[in-house]
Parts: sequence; structure tokens; C-alpha cells
Amino acid sequence: MSLHKARIKAFEDILNKDVIDFDQLRKLAFNGIPDEKGLRSVVWKILLHYIPHEKDARESTLKKKRQLYLQFIDEIIVTPGGDADHPLNISPDSSWSTYFKDNEVLLQIDKDVRRLCPEISFFQSATEFPCEKVVNSNGMKRLHKRVEQSVLKYATLERRGLGVAKLSSEIRRSDSLTSGDYVPLNEGCEAHWEVVERMLFLYAKLNPGQGYVQGMNEIIGPIYHTFANDADKDNREHAEADCFFSFTNLMSEIRDFFIRTLDETESGINYMMDRLGSCLRSHDPAVWDRLELQELRPQYYSFRWLTLLLSQEFSLPDVERIWDSLFADEKRFNFLIYICCAMILLVRENLLNGDFASNVKLLQNFPPMDVSLILNKAAEIASA
Amino acid sequence: MAKKTYDLLFKLLLIGDSGVGKTCILFRFSDNHFTTTFISTIGIDFKIKTVELRGKKIKLQIWDTAGQERFHTITTSYYRGAMGIMLVYDITNEKTFDDIVKWLRNIDEHANEDVEKMILGNKCDMEEKRVVSKERGEAIAREHGIRFMETSAKANINIDRAFSELAEAILDKTAGRDADADHARIAVERRPSRAPPARACCS
Ligand SMILES: Nc1nc2c(ncn2[C@@H]2O[C@H](COP(=O)(O)OP(=O)(O)OP(=O)(O)O)[C@@H](O)[C@H]2O)c(=O)[nH]1
Ligand SMILES: [Mg+2]
Repeated sequence: MSLHKARIKAFEDILNKDVIDFDQLRKLAFNGIPDEKGLRSVVWKILLHYIPHEKDARESTLKKKRQLYLQFIDEIIVTPGGDADHPLNISPDSSWSTYFKDNEVLLQIDKDVRRLCPEISFFQSATEFPCEKVVNSNGMKRLHKRVEQSVLKYATLERRGLGVAKLSSEIRRSDSLTSGDYVPLNEGCEAHWEVVERMLFLYAKLNPGQGYVQGMNEIIGPIYHTFANDADKDNREHAEADCFFSFTNLMSEIRDFFIRTLDETESGINYMMDRLGSCLRSHDPAVWDRLELQELRPQYYSFRWLTLLLSQEFSLPDVERIWDSLFADEKRFNFLIYICCAMILLVRENLLNGDFASNVKLLQNFPPMDVSLILNKAAEIASA
Repeated sequence: MAKKTYDLLFKLLLIGDSGVGKTCILFRFSDNHFTTTFISTIGIDFKIKTVELRGKKIKLQIWDTAGQERFHTITTSYYRGAMGIMLVYDITNEKTFDDIVKWLRNIDEHANEDVEKMILGNKCDMEEKRVVSKERGEAIAREHGIRFMETSAKANINIDRAFSELAEAILDKTAGRDADADHARIAVERRPSRAPPARACCS
């Protein structure tokens, strides 16, 4: 049996037990999860505490959650507040103002999901499993339709004081919203970016304290990509629901990175950047001194590294491999710090010879590199 | 030590709401290219371009910031060291224009008092979607005594001009303020990022 096949079997053996040995699974996943047989997808679901360790309980949990998700779509997107106060019924009451406030959030989400992973075609392609109630609504329930209207609302409603009836007949597309290849698909079809848009909108609605912050798209993207490419049809069909809850769980651990008022707390982003700083200082004082001397602060590069769990620094397959280790980390997200530190150490010669500008550039555009090199270095740091 | 390939170093900053086109403007200026598929800026990005003004080689160190509210703590820490700031809005989006006032207030709070400012109304290639007239842009600039220009990163309108005018304004100031201009030059070169706020914010 080849080494690779043996690895797959090792995963399958663990997953087939009545009760999963979580520690064992974590150890195995830490070194990378094979792409085959939907393994990554199921292991991430377990590591992110979406599905239970007991084999028997898995199916019923999935069923319950997937049902619940449909209910969210119904209540929040398909018939918010019932049909009676549909926003195009003219009466500027509170549901109206919620509707337009939501649209501001949606506008931001819309801009970002259309800029998601442009180097691959996946997000622009059609999903096998569109949300029926949304895609067969004559465009009425499509979220991006709402933003096209809200752009117009700002232009005509507030500036020229036109009535709403007039407004709806004047809806035009904004170039900036339909630019690139992220075009909405026809009635009955739906692109993957539209699915991501829906999940992020539901998340913002269900977590009002947090709403939507740029960068969340880059967190949900790789999870959805993994689940939507599951080998199992049933899992693919429910990739959206499963991704939504897995993302929600992940966010509960890293959401403080996204909240400005928590920057200074122990769970906030500044604390993470400080930890990276100390890690670097103890492992490579020369590089640390050099960057200090140049006044090249960790926040110039590591703010994005840490907030997005490195998702903007590497190609998607590499990100997924890195996340195997991150999710399998017993003390989430310690290992993230070590990876970041390893990245710096691996370009130390350049840093020691570069001036301020070339060093910022190097760190902000990290050169393509074999990820296993980075992960091995990080493991070395972790065990030091 | 690396050879000096420039006479002066100016640190510039781009600010404005998310989606107004800051990254596109900078990309057009530094790489003379436009693409619609930019990922949103998280935190802060950085580019360098050297220009020649009045026989002097000027190295522009330009910081591109993220527009969304969440990133303000991170981004405002760059204001202090900036010698010039571009405030960008989108002529097809009313709110981004209204927010210019907010961005100006931010500058007052966080930047050096004598920082050079310029307002840019971007996306002026989209005349048919325009909701902010050029006159309104000019008016707000006049009111605050700031330079103003309409630009398009897509159609390459006024992008180079905006950066050279801003750089020239800084050059005028640098030359005028110090009796001995050479002194200022050395000070600038030795400390490319004399940014005390950065120190303050990584407690
Ligand atoms: N028509 C037109 N579109 C533009 C122009 N400049 C930018 N855009 C579009 O506006 C969108 C946002 O541009 P970005 O440069 O990413 O915006 P930003 O200000 O950097 O946004 P954040 O990074 O989120 O703060 C992109 O889809 C661009 O294609 C322009 O001059 N004309
Ligand atoms: Mg940007």
C-alpha cells in the first residue's frame, strides 16, 4: 500500500469508529488531510465542532442544522416579516429603515464577494444546487438585486426626492457592481459567489453585534470551496448550510480579530501581533533588530496575515493545507503565530539585506514557496 | 549600504470609503494598469514610485489604506508620518462624498498639522452614473482650502497629475520652510518612516 493510501486509510479508520478519538484525529490532520473522498470536508466539520464525535449522532445533527438553515433563509431572505410589509409597499416605517440599513451591509458584502479568489474560476461558476426559492423568484429575492436598488435609492430618492414608485421603474445596473466576470446568472441558476453572499448576509443579520467586516469573505471562502467540492453528492447539496455553521463556529473563536474595540484585549489582534513580535525576537534577534531599526512594525504586514488566517497570502490549495494544521492545533491559534514567524525566518537573508521599502514589499507580497517548508519550520519553532 | 537613487522621500497616504477605487488609483499610478478584480484591502498596502520634479528625483512611498470602519485604528496610525494625503470619493456614490467630511476630521485628529491634502473624485469615466457634480467637489475643496481633481483609474484620467501636484506642493513646502534645504533632505532620507504613532500603537 502506498504511503498516501495508508494515510487515507488511517483517516477512514478513525472516522469509522463509533466514537472518534479526537486527539488522534487532530494529530493526523495536523500533518495534512488528503483531498480524496471528501475527507478534508468531514474532518474540518469535526475539528470546527460542527458535527459530533459519535457516529450515530452525526446524521441527526446534520439533518437538524440543515433544516434550521432553510428556516433562516425563509425568515430572513424569502419572506422577511411576511409579505405584508414588503419594502416596495410604500410606507416609510421601521421595517423600511431596517431594509435599507441591511442594504448598506449587503452593498459591502456584494463588493467583496465579487472580488473573492479571482485567480480561480470556481466562485464565478454555477452551483449544482441553487436555492430554489431564491433563483426562481424573477430576481425578486436575489440579494444583489437589492443592492442595485439601494444604490439607486441613494441617488434618486434622497437627492431628487422622487417617489418610490418612480424609483422601481428606474432601476439600472451599476457598472461597478457588474464588473469583471462575477456576473449574476440567469433565472434558475446561481453562481457560487451568490451563495457566499447569502451566507455572509445571514451571518451579519444573526450576529448584529458584529455585522459584516471585510475579510470575513476570505475566511468563509476556503471552507465553502472545500465543502462544495465534497465527493459525496448529499454533502455537496448541503455545502451551504454546513459551511454556514462551521464558519459561525470558527468565527466564535476569531471574531475578536474583527472587532475594533477589542483590539487591545487578550483575544484581540494587537495581542496576536505582539505575540508574533516576541516569537520573532526570541528566534531570530538579528532580524528582529533589523526590522526594529527600520521601524518596520508587525502591523504593516502581520495584521492581514493573522486576521485572515493567511488566506490572502497563498493560493487556495495551499491555504487549505495550512488550515488543516491550524484547525488541528490543540491551542488554536498558537500555531498560526509559529507559521507567521516561520515565514519571516525563511526570508531572513533578504530582510537582513533589504531596505525598508523592499522589506515591506517582500512581507506584504510573500514569495511563492513550498508550504511544507513553511509548516516544517513552524513545527520546529513550536517544539523549540 | 544601498546607493541612494533619489534626492527626496515623500510619504503619501490614500484614504476614503471602501470601494471608491484607492487601490486601483495606486495601481494605475505605479504599474500603469487597470484591473477590475482587486481584492479588498485589509489593513494597509504599500507601493513605491520615483518621479522627477524640477530636476529632483523624488521617491514616493505610498500607503493604501482599507476603507472600512473596522480598520481605522490600524490605518490612522499611519497618518502622523504622512506628508501628503489623498482623500478619495466615488462620483457615482453619494455616501462616499458625504463621508469626505468625516475623513477630513480624521486627518485633523491624527495627521501632522501641515500635511498637504488633495481631494479626488474618482470614477469620472462613469458620466452616466454620476450623482456628485464636479461643482460640489470643487466647493467642498474650496471650503477647506484643499486642492481638488476628478480622476479615473480606469480611463487613466488625471492620475499622474494628481500625484505630481501633491508631490509638488510638498516640495514647495519643504523648500520654503527650511532655510537650508539640504538639511531637510538628509533628515528625510535617514528616517524614511519617522512615525512615532506606530510606536505608540504597539504597546
Ligand atoms: N469605472 C470605474 N471603476 C473603478 C475605478 N476605480 C475603481 N473602480 C472599481 O471600483 C471597485 C473598487 O476599487 P478598489 O480600488 O478595490 O477600491 P478601494 O477604495 O481600494 O476599496 P477598499 O480596499 O475596500 O477600501 C473595483 O471593482 C474597481 O473596478 C474607475 O476609475 N472607474
Ligand atoms: Mg483597496
